[in-house]
Amino acid sequence: MNSHCGWIVLASLNWPPGLPTGWLQGLPLAHLLPTGLGPWGDGIAQLVLQPSQLLLVLGLVLLAAQGGAACCDRLPLLLPGAWLLGGLVGLNLGAELLQAMACTALVTLIGLLTALGVRLGPRAFLLVCVGTAMPVALVVGSAMAGHQGALTALLGQVVAIAVLVALLIQPLAPPQPRWLAIGLRVAGSWIAAAGLMMLAWLARHPQ
Amino acid sequence: MTALVQAYEPAWAHGEASHSAGFVAGLLHPITGLDHVVAMVAVGLWGAVLGPPALWLLPVAFPIVMALGGCLGLLGVPIPGVEIGIALSGLVLGLMVLFEIRAPLVLAAAIVSAFALFHGHAHGAELPAGGNPFLFSLAFVIATGLLHLLGILLGETRRWPGGRRFVQAAGGGVALVGLGFLLRVLR
Repeated sequence: MNSHCGWIVLASLNWPPGLPTGWLQGLPLAHLLPTGLGPWGDGIAQLVLQPSQLLLVLGLVLLAAQGGAACCDRLPLLLPGAWLLGGLVGLNLGAELLQAMACTALVTLIGLLTALGVRLGPRAFLLVCVGTAMPVALVVGSAMAGHQGALTALLGQVVAIAVLVALLIQPLAPPQPRWLAIGLRVAGSWIAAAGLMMLAWLARHPQ
Repeated sequence: MTALVQAYEPAWAHGEASHSAGFVAGLLHPITGLDHVVAMVAVGLWGAVLGPPALWLLPVAFPIVMALGGCLGLLGVPIPGVEIGIALSGLVLGLMVLFEIRAPLVLAAAIVSAFALFHGHAHGAELPAGGNPFLFSLAFVIATGLLHLLGILLGETRRWPGGRRFVQAAGGGVALVGLGFLLRVLR
């Protein structure tokens, strides 16, 4: 399938009206923050200052480190690429159409997989990485749509993710000392726990 | 004993308005209730007594089960005897450390998880509605994990001369605090 087919399929989906906006208000996934650094800086700031996106990136880094060298090698290209594609689709949808709850569930899933010590093969990791990063990036892109310089902001964010992953994956990649392997699982459990509580929070406070 | 009972504020009674938002509030939330603090430290202490893999498995399991309890609390699903469960957690975990009880891993995980559910429920039921919920939840979990780490580090002093007695004494202290809360709840 070429990229146009994907765009047409996504654009033709009949999203339930008004589905996600209430959820999005509860999640820090939403709009760009004006930092005074221009759209590029705004995009980076959105990633760095808003933990729901950052946690997904960190969770995928942990999971890649647990999965082995092949996963670690792929992540620096795979994650920014998936983020860029999802973000571009979101920018073009132009509305906050996806449920923040689903995004939180994806973050929770990544945390759980890491906490359980699941070692994904390269193909499974590819599916998990793209299957989690793209939907979240799609929501992020949707939230950015309409802002001035949204595309530049998205590109800034993608570059920031690439840099972050490159910095983190090197020291975490196998072979790991025992304490680091345990640390990965503990950190995964923290991400999963925070995600679970956030899910309940969203259910309790939808507006 | 009366002074001991009166000295502590339970974990479910510390939802100050000033703690209603953000990372710092989430970080402070677990450490402002002594009953929660001693139980979390005791989890780490008991893990150190049990050794690997319980040493790291208990701190991995606890936050997730605690978050499940937090979900129930947030959603208003009642769990009977939450206060008693929290008080019992300090007492039971403290006794486990004091008497160096080496329970099988599955049993230890089940005990710790059951108590985690009570602690999570109490905190979930009182989480403030304002502020950044994601930061709050994350900081809350991190603070709990750091209390476990503190317990593990204290427990690791067992390797040193006199460390074993120190850890047992710490377990006794935790059990006393738990007993104090239990008497307070049952009064």
